Amino acid sequence: MLTCAFERRNSKLRGTVSSPRLRLLGSSVATKLLIGITGLALVLYLIVHVVGNLLIFLGPDFFNRYAYTLEGNPLLPIVEIGLLLVFLIHILRTIRNFVLNQRARPVRYVEKRRAGWPSRKSFPSSTMIVSGLWLVAFLLVHVKAFRYGAEYPWPAGGRDLYRLELETFRSPLVVAFYAISMVVIGAHLWHGIASGFQSLGADTPAWRRFILPAGKIVAVAIAGAFIVIAIWAHLQGAA
Amino acid sequence: MPQLDARVPAGPIAGKWDRHKFEMKLVNPANKRKFTLIVVGTGLAGASAASSLGELGYNVLSFCIQDSPRRAHSIAAQGGINAAKNYQNDGDSVYRLFYDTVKGGDYRSREANVYRLAQLSVNIIDQCVAQGVPFARDYGGLLDNRSFGGAQVSRTFYARGQTGQQLLLGAYQSLMRQVHHETVTLFPRREMLDLVVVDGRARGIVVRNLKTGEIERYAADAVILATGGYGTAYYLSTNAVNSNVTAAWRAHKRGAYFANPCYTQIHPTCIPVSGEHQSKLTLMSESLRNDGRVWVPRKVGDRRPPEQIPEDERDYYLERKYPSFGNLVPRDVASRNAKQVCDDGRGVGETGLAVYLDFADAIRRIGIEGIRDKYGNLFQMYQKITDENPYETPMRIYPAIHYTMGGLWVDYNLMSTIPGLHVLGEANFSDHGANRLGASALMQGLADGYFVIPYTIADYLASTPLPKISTDHDAFKQASDAAQRQINALLDVKGTRTIRHFHRALGRILWDDVGMSRTAESLTRALAEIPKLREEFWHDVSVPGAPDNLNQSLEYAGRVADYLDFAELLALDAQHRRESCGGHFREESQTPDGEALRDDEHFSYVAAWEYTGPGQRPELHKEPLVFDEVHPTQRSYK
Amino acid sequence: MRLKLRIWRQAGPTAPGRLEDYAADDISPDMSFLEMLDVVNEGLVRQGKDAIAFDSDCREGICGMCSLVVNGVPHGPDRGTTVCQLHMRRYKDGDTITIEPWRARAFPVVKDLIVDRSAFDRIIAAGGYVSVNAGGAPDGNAIPISKAIYEQAMDSAACIGCGACVAACKNASAHLFMGAKISQLARLPQGQVERASRVAAMVHQADAEGFGSCSNEGECEAVCPKEIPISNIARITRELVKAVWRGGE
Repeated sequence: MLTCAFERRNSKLRGTVSSPRLRLLGSSVATKLLIGITGLALVLYLIVHVVGNLLIFLGPDFFNRYAYTLEGNPLLPIVEIGLLLVFLIHILRTIRNFVLNQRARPVRYVEKRRAGWPSRKSFPSSTMIVSGLWLVAFLLVHVKAFRYGAEYPWPAGGRDLYRLELETFRSPLVVAFYAISMVVIGAHLWHGIASGFQSLGADTPAWRRFILPAGKIVAVAIAGAFIVIAIWAHLQGAA
Repeated sequence: MPQLDARVPAGPIAGKWDRHKFEMKLVNPANKRKFTLIVVGTGLAGASAASSLGELGYNVLSFCIQDSPRRAHSIAAQGGINAAKNYQNDGDSVYRLFYDTVKGGDYRSREANVYRLAQLSVNIIDQCVAQGVPFARDYGGLLDNRSFGGAQVSRTFYARGQTGQQLLLGAYQSLMRQVHHETVTLFPRREMLDLVVVDGRARGIVVRNLKTGEIERYAADAVILATGGYGTAYYLSTNAVNSNVTAAWRAHKRGAYFANPCYTQIHPTCIPVSGEHQSKLTLMSESLRNDGRVWVPRKVGDRRPPEQIPEDERDYYLERKYPSFGNLVPRDVASRNAKQVCDDGRGVGETGLAVYLDFADAIRRIGIEGIRDKYGNLFQMYQKITDENPYETPMRIYPAIHYTMGGLWVDYNLMSTIPGLHVLGEANFSDHGANRLGASALMQGLADGYFVIPYTIADYLASTPLPKISTDHDAFKQASDAAQRQINALLDVKGTRTIRHFHRALGRILWDDVGMSRTAESLTRALAEIPKLREEFWHDVSVPGAPDNLNQSLEYAGRVADYLDFAELLALDAQHRRESCGGHFREESQTPDGEALRDDEHFSYVAAWEYTGPGQRPELHKEPLVFDEVHPTQRSYK
Repeated sequence: MRLKLRIWRQAGPTAPGRLEDYAADDISPDMSFLEMLDVVNEGLVRQGKDAIAFDSDCREGICGMCSLVVNGVPHGPDRGTTVCQLHMRRYKDGDTITIEPWRARAFPVVKDLIVDRSAFDRIIAAGGYVSVNAGGAPDGNAIPISKAIYEQAMDSAACIGCGACVAACKNASAHLFMGAKISQLARLPQGQVERASRVAAMVHQADAEGFGSCSNEGECEAVCPKEIPISNIARITRELVKAVWRGGE
């Protein structure tokens, strides 16, 4: 007799895990959490990376010894695999999330404008998927160039990464590609750092006041340092 | 003249409800799910009734015209909800709340109902707190109260200026919980178009699915209406634009008596009308009168800006006429006086239909910050609407229709004159008499829904033979055909004037002639003009669109058609009641000071009107009012 | 003043929709935005044309029924304001205004500017309540709640369920709506018993309805007529982690 007036939609979930407790891990909130955690882990890695790279200013001896010590660490393969996993989770989850989010609005607005303060929406925040995909491409080039690049031996042990770096950056095209990619990374972090903490559930007025500018400063600092190194290496190698 | 029996239980007033609860029949828990109950409306009364009945295990069908039950207009109540908790140790009690309500209603309410309401008020607060309604707290973490609407005790519980919203969301959440448990089925965007009566009992409703235009039939063992008041008949009111009288009116046409339609409440502190285009009026909390001083220029036609009118050329008329209550006189008194000074030509603003509410003195006394703390939100709202800064220039206010005390007549069990049709909240007539006190509407809606109907409906179900009924029954067919016929008739007029034109015209008649003060002459005029307007409507209204999809013009036209019928009853009731009481002020019946003068000898009764057919004069039935506890006296606020 | 309107017209849920041009003449600055549309509609009705369908009810910013995207921003340009409280003095003679409905998979268009928001009701039905039956509640003062907690709970409870957050979000996410209710009840002692199961159930339901995820941009907060901050969204994560930790479901 009754037409069903108020449809009951069954909870069809994004994940397919059956345990109720684990099912939550497939939810949109868990996805966000996972993207946030992996993103922040990558930021941490980037900071270590950039600090290590800055050692190049101390000359080939110091820089190569640092790299040799690092490569000699027996834990390195584990760390590398871990890093790869973190990357993969971050990338795959994000892409899946992006696709689902696109589906959430099948018909677009004819006209859509930003709402303005206190929204944090910015060009970088709107293009996270683009900057992210660019960075995946960059990563492949970058790992190929350095992790699997030319093996110049260094007399004191290990590889002469100093030379590899100077030679790589001799080409202005490479410098340009790197500089652009670092701007992209800066843009990704411009929104990403604060967003990562937000995804972790950290948000109080005081924390907000701190993390929003702090995230942007760190983003600029990381991107800037890498660009300075690339240009310096170019000038050094050209000299 | 036939008399109505409210079936009030015998015995001392304090024990009536308890005894009655014991004497009423119960429905066995296992049998409850076999009963289907229809609840129309999801405001405080409807949502609380539907959820409570669902909790008990009944099969409940809940209907609302909005897209979600959470949007019912109870949500807009600002001030608070009264309860006789006496948390403030200031002498409040169930008896005092009862007494204040009967007196505030100008001795036109049923004592037994009001007493029960006062008793249940305390349970409401407990229930809402348990649901997680965030009532204001004091620094010790206990519930905070404020004094409201001139009450001499602090018994009003509140949640900022959004008490109605929070109470409604509490009831709505309880309702959605029952939807989850599948005891309640929700039917949003449905408008009730008829009540189905079989063998003299209410057995179902016919609704229009507002999304598809389909006419749908629903059968049940009993029907509960909680469809709110009829203030929008006046076109401009503080009610929501979709609030309407249709459900109640159509039930009336099926045999439910309509009681005291002339009892309408006019709220003194609304933002004045700015032009023809206006679709509704916005209320500002009455608390503003605690610090604002009401005045108009002494001279007729003084058009100077308020800052340029010197102190001795201002008339603080409420303070002048009522030295002891001053600006805090009850709503009806404040409203009527505002109308009077405007009628004298001393109104302010572009339309001359407003008075000043001036905070300059209060700002001098407690500073801008102090005022901002107390009324910041209201001042902001005022500025948003009028584009004037009330910190610098006095507010302009004018009265507006706000609440209607009249409604379908119900007995002590909240059952109308149609067995099985129960009416709750503002839709019934019962508890406020001729004038409702501030913060009492929320209390009544929730008392009816949470704590009265769950008991009284069981008594009806357990003591009535209710054979199974199908929606194929002739009565259903007849009702849905009638609904369809009216829809077709509206679409077929194909006239030249808009629906809003007629609504606006009706509003003007009611406001001018059946508004804040009424005379034999004005009522006669209204009674002549309304049928004329109705005639015009049915010949010249333009209702575009099709019947078989979402068509807001058609919805609106149906409502206005019912207002045009109903308005006549409203005027007729006002004409027949040749006394002044509460919100009903007949100029012929006033004290030498211009106060409402009751005529207890002739009018101490509830006027319940029976529908006798189109174009026929409705028949008056009386329920005599007996006052055993509170003895009627003349109200005085000098 | 005279305005040029571009309004989304769509005959039904499955019909194709498009922007149509209308002229709004003789608009007074004192009108509210919806009253301006009333005037346009009256003109259409006078010509026997189908009026533009849009939702509204209380017209004082509390029922959450009105739902228009005005020039690309839900509820229009004023902060903390529903479109029913937006006034035409915000615009000037000759302006062009584009009006669209909320757009989200979970909010399908019913007609013109009206959408179906029952997905929100189902999210609340999944767990947005405290399970207490009428009767039998303890005395209101038996549950003391500090003023600070009350204020915080009230800030979240102010949500009017209009769906502007979803409309503004690039992912059409319902996290702010859901977070407001979860935060209100997680703050209060009454909400503790079902704290874990509530967040799990509501999150599942929101996902099942087809809302997107949250990208922390905060457009929702900026368009929220009650200015509910996204810290309410951050709380969902905290509550969910706790729920998983304790095995609540």
